[in-house]
Amino acid sequence: MRHFYSLTRPVAAVSAIAILALAAGCSEPAGTSMAGPPAVATAQTSSATKVKAASKLGDLSAFRNIAADVTSIVDNGDLPAAKARIKDLEVAWDSAEAGLKARAAGDWHVLDKSIDHALGALRANAPNQTDSKKAMADLLTNFDSLQGKS
Amino acid sequence: MNTLTTPSSSNWLNKVPEVTLSFWVIKIMSTTVGETGADFLAVNAGFGQDISRAVMGALLAVALFMQWRTRRYTPWTYWLTVVLVSVVGTQITDLLTDGLGVSLYVSTSAFAAVLAGIFAVWFWVERSLSIHKIFTCRRELFYWSAILCTFALGTAAGDLATEALGLGFTWGAVSFGALIAITYAAWRKGGNAVLTFWIGYILTRPFGAALGDMLTQAKTYGGLGMGAMWTSALFLIVIVMLVTVAQFGVGSSRITQTTE
Repeated sequence: MRHFYSLTRPVAAVSAIAILALAAGCSEPAGTSMAGPPAVATAQTSSATKVKAASKLGDLSAFRNIAADVTSIVDNGDLPAAKARIKDLEVAWDSAEAGLKARAAGDWHVLDKSIDHALGALRANAPNQTDSKKAMADLLTNFDSLQGKS
Repeated sequence: MNTLTTPSSSNWLNKVPEVTLSFWVIKIMSTTVGETGADFLAVNAGFGQDISRAVMGALLAVALFMQWRTRRYTPWTYWLTVVLVSVVGTQITDLLTDGLGVSLYVSTSAFAAVLAGIFAVWFWVERSLSIHKIFTCRRELFYWSAILCTFALGTAAGDLATEALGLGFTWGAVSFGALIAITYAAWRKGGNAVLTFWIGYILTRPFGAALGDMLTQAKTYGGLGMGAMWTSALFLIVIVMLVTVAQFGVGSSRITQTTE
């Protein structure tokens, strides 16, 4: 038993070092493809470049672009497709929480609530276009008002 | 009320592990794995918060039952229970904050009060808060309720630090790390072992979360950009490694006894 206790210590120490080494290694080359800001591909649209003033939360254009995308799908009346697309926003927003929230918790909550609202509208048992349209419009307004104030 | 005679040297009846370095490494890493696991179920797998809460609650009940049934310390059962307690403790705080709109100031103080209450009753009933001699059903009940409460409290206190102080994960890891170092120093200087253990147990929750965020978050946000999946996989491998070593350690110490 003594023998095994003395074994766990070096194993713990070595694994802690291994993690740090691996973390440093992984972050060098692969970082760009793995964890860059979401939906970079859509970031080149002309409307996005116009909204340049960064909010306290930093650059939110990647999130806003998905929201704009969802809005246009809703406008076309394809609610199931909008529901599928808004999940990208949910996943991207959720995975960036730790990075964004500390910058301006109040602003973060405004957007978080607004995104929740839009998710709720599109995921309702019988989603209707009026509610979805309204929720998406509110969400875009919130994005823009945050980008506007610096 | 039966008075418990504590077996002096043997710990073969004890159902919880020795507190060693690997204990803390596993404990910190299970925080991250637990949180990403619950998030994955709720968001990526699309089950939503309600279903993943129910699933995790049920799994915890099963794990607790297995831990309760086992007669002595069984590493994989014990640590499975810790991971699930970590998930459920986090979910309780999230439910209060996001679902019911309870302020983090309120939940942090409430959990601190509940934890103090658990310790008071524990001490009043057992005349000891020993974390080394957990071998009765009642003590085990105290032990796991205290642990669940520390995870909920650690989550609330950590979130409060983010919200109120704007403490990002980098500074979060540094400050909670420093507090843990102070606690460790206090213990080395002869501070109360039980008290410092529980303080460490609470502090390692936000510390583990900040550490996890540092690895998972994109470089744009100052993280290392490993992503939640790879970080969890890495942590899980280390946890499995350490628990396996512990499991063999326990196995070899009771060669004469038959394992299930």
